Formats: sequence, C-alpha cells, structure tokens
Amino acid sequence: MNRFKWFYHPVFIFIFSIVALAASLVLYVYWYIGVSTGLASIIKNYNLDPNQFFEVNTWVVVLVLSILVGIILIGVFVIFVYNQKTWQLYRLQRNFINNFTHELKTPVTSLKLYLDTFTKYDLPRSEQIKYVGYMIQDVERLLKNINRILDLARIESGNHWKEFVIMDLVNAVQKFYGNNADLFRNCEFKIHNLAGKPLHYPVNPQLFEMFLMNIMTNAVKYNESDNPSVDVRFIPRKKGLQIRFEDNGIGIEKSETKKIFRMFYRVGQADDTANGSGLGLYMARQIARIHKGEVTAESEGKGKGSVFALTLPMRGEVEG
Amino acid sequence: MTGVSGKKKILIIEDDSHIAEGLKLNLSLKGYDVLIAADGPAGLREWREWKPDLIVLDIMLPRIDGLSVLRSIRLEDERLPILILSAKSEHEYRVKGLSYGVDDYLSKPFNLEEFLLRVDRLVTRAAWSEGESPAGCLPEGSVYTFAGNTIDFVTFTANCRLGRVTLTEQEVKLLKLFIANRGKPLSRGELLEIGWGYTGSTSTRTVDNFIVRLRRYFEDNPRKPAFFRSLRSVGYVFDHDS
Repeated sequence: MNRFKWFYHPVFIFIFSIVALAASLVLYVYWYIGVSTGLASIIKNYNLDPNQFFEVNTWVVVLVLSILVGIILIGVFVIFVYNQKTWQLYRLQRNFINNFTHELKTPVTSLKLYLDTFTKYDLPRSEQIKYVGYMIQDVERLLKNINRILDLARIESGNHWKEFVIMDLVNAVQKFYGNNADLFRNCEFKIHNLAGKPLHYPVNPQLFEMFLMNIMTNAVKYNESDNPSVDVRFIPRKKGLQIRFEDNGIGIEKSETKKIFRMFYRVGQADDTANGSGLGLYMARQIARIHKGEVTAESEGKGKGSVFALTLPMRGEVEG
Repeated sequence: MTGVSGKKKILIIEDDSHIAEGLKLNLSLKGYDVLIAADGPAGLREWREWKPDLIVLDIMLPRIDGLSVLRSIRLEDERLPILILSAKSEHEYRVKGLSYGVDDYLSKPFNLEEFLLRVDRLVTRAAWSEGESPAGCLPEGSVYTFAGNTIDFVTFTANCRLGRVTLTEQEVKLLKLFIANRGKPLSRGELLEIGWGYTGSTSTRTVDNFIVRLRRYFEDNPRKPAFFRSLRSVGYVFDHDS
C-alpha cells in the first residue's frame, strides 16, 4: 500500500487538479474556436447574416472562461492551504498530547507508587513523613501542569488582560528569583541594570511572572554546564526597554531560533531527552504581544548558550 | 555476579528522583541491593563498574536516551535482564524496545505488585543460565563474514585485505553496531551515543577517525568505500551483498 501513498498526498492532488483545470480551459477555448469556425463556414455557405450569430466576440468568451477558471483555481488553492494548516495543527496537537501526557504521567506514577507502597508495608513514621512530602510535591507538580493548560487557555482568549500595573521590573525580577530560589539551586544569578535606576513599566503582574517562569526555567532546564548561570540585563533603548536573559546552556541552532516560539514546537523531537510541553516559549511570545512587545532568541549555536530578549515599547514608561 | 552480601544487584536508570527512590525503597524491602543513576551516561558507567544483575530503565532520560543506553549495553551483553519502565505506552515504543533486545516493558503508571513480580522472575531466570558460557551478541555466532573479510568477535581479530589484524575493543563495538544495523543509516550522534556512551556535544570527529580505520581494514579502495559508506548530512551506513 505504501507505494501508492503519494497518490493520496494533498500536494499531488493539488497539482493534479490544477493541471486538469488548465487542460480543460485549453480544451474549452480550442473547442469553442473549432465550433465557431464551423459555424462561420456554415453561415458563409448558406449566405446567412453573420451578425445574427456572432453578437458576442470570441475574446469575450475566452475572457469569461479564463476568469471562471481563475476563480476555481483560487478556490482550490484556498482549500489546499486550509487543508495543509489543518494537518499541521493535527500533528502539533498529537505531538503535544504525547509530550504533555508524559508530564502528567510522571507525577501520577510517583503518587501511585507511594500509595501502593503504603498499602503494602507499614513503614516507620519518619519515613512515611518523608514520602508523604514527595507526594505533596508530586501533587504540586500536577497542579502546576494543569494550571499551565488553564493559563494557556486564558492567554489565548485574550481580553482578560487589561489590568496593567506600573511596577519596577528590576525589582520584579529580583523578587521572582527570591520567591523561586529552589528552582535555581546551583545556578549563578545576576541582574545588570544598565539604566542604574528603577525601571517602571506597566505590566500585568501575573503574566509577567508567567513570562519570567517560562524563560528562566528554560535557562536552567536546558543547561548542561557545570556552573549554570543566568544573567539578566536591563538595557534602555531608544524605542523602549530591552531585557536580556543570557544563559550558558545548551544553546539553539540558528535555524531553530524562530521556530522554537511556535506552539508545541520542540527542538529535536526525534529523540527527545528533555521533558517539556512545547508551550513555554509560545506562551512567552503571546505574553510579550499582550504587552505590545516582542521576544526573540539569539544563540551562537549549539553548546554556546542562548539569549532571550524581551523588548517592551516606550509607550507608558514612567520615570521613577 | 551477586554482591558481597549475596544480594542481587539492581540498577535503576531513572531521572525522576521520586519514582527512582520509590522503586529503590520497594526493591530494597524485597531484599535487593539497589543503585540509582539519574541519566544515560551515569547509567552506562554504573552498569560497567557496579555490574548489576538487572537494570530498570526509563526511556526519556537526559543526555542519552534509554533506547540508546539499551542498544549500547546489548552490544556487549546480550544476557543482562533489562526492564523498561516508561511513560511511553504506545506500541511503537514497545516494539522498538523489544527489537533492541529488552526483556520486559512496563508502562507508567504501573502496578507495584506486577512490577515486583516481573523483576523477581527476570532475576530468577537470569540465575538459571548464569553458569553457561555467554553467547555473543550476534545470532550468527562469534564470527562474521562479508566480502572475503572475516571478523572474529571472541579473539578480537579480523582477516582482511591487510592480512590478520587485531581489533581494539572500540573497533569491535563499532563493528557490532554496524552489523546489527546493516543497511540502516546511523548518524554520527547515534554512533557516539551507542558506541561510546558520549553525549551529542562531544566532537563527532572521533567517529570519523574510526571509520577511516575500519575502511583501511576492510575496503578494497578506502577512498571509494563500498561497505562503510558516508551519507551526506546523515552519517554512515554499513551494507554488503550477502
């Protein structure tokens, strides 16, 4: 069966229908001219009045036919594009389900394992407390994953993020680090404020924190260095403010720096080794957009670290 | 193969510390000696140094994934019981794992009792055949012949166009890997991961140097290789007419 698979391929069907349509146009015109010359000779032979039959000129007929065929062509093309998009989304979704179920299954497996163990053995109290602690962490992991899906749904719905609060972003990043210090264990963290003063910007605090969580945990997660480090640089620019998150992690191939922001996109899908949902950077980009800003990735290549730069527009900056 | 205390040794290669510890707790209570390795390279190191009687292996592992770890082990040890414990439950992964020589496959979340019984059974079965002489990893036996070349995997020698040569351990591993994947392209990354147990960031020039050596041994014209062919932007493929 596989040998005939190309036969059903959308690109083949698309090309085939275009060729068929073009051929039919040529045939219409050819036959029309054939019929009208035949008709002309009949008129000539029987000495009829040509104006009775040739009120419409040949080129008008050809033009009308061409326009109709053109419309059909555009229609086919639109259907083709939509079809391709649907397939792409389907593949993305399947990819997402595969990856995300892994993220959900791991804590569930751990929970089930400890619950099974507790039913099987009567462990000393001290050990019980230790393992219950693990289970609580697993429940939190599950909750975090579920919340990410809910966050995504809310970001996608758009309109709920009108509440912007003016806050000092330098302080916000520092605070975020303080609150999540356990995520950045063994990781060197530095803030460089090139402005030398607090930078007050209107942001949605919840979204901004979500952004930091996604960008900064990536810096640690995709890092194989012995001394992982994250440097956050605040650079005032003419058009606004740039915040650069620089890490010494595994880096990104040049060709991937744009793709990684796509929904469900994961680098190196063939032999996945790192866990992830393929949503983090997509969400980061959406959050930047809600703030009328932009997030880009830069990297010297694999193994050379990466930089994620958030650019926020001047609009609404408040002197602190 | 058993430890000093007479206990059977089980190596758990699993990156999730909670699951790994939960498994360790249960296996220890069952009387096994248990060690945890958190990623692929650590797993391969412990397998070599600690010589476990059974390995519990996860597929999604940092640095080197579980299936590569499995293939790497199978190049040298065909008999060690290995049980895959993975969240990947799709049959394609099961089939892949089984085709690379795993003994059992359980998908997460699993039933603890079932897991423990399967482990017991695998360890018991392995103990039966402990005394027998270990067979090579190739079904054809310990000698492989192609196009007038003969490779002996027991004595680590080859009869080739250079005459009789002694092969290094690494050359033998690489040859086994190529023979096991005859006709299938292998990327430099795969060759490094499976053949050497390295991660992808290590220089792939190492692989190229070994290929040069293999070609010098076995190719009639090493500049125009017929058996160890390069595939542009993919890696290498080994094949020959049978």
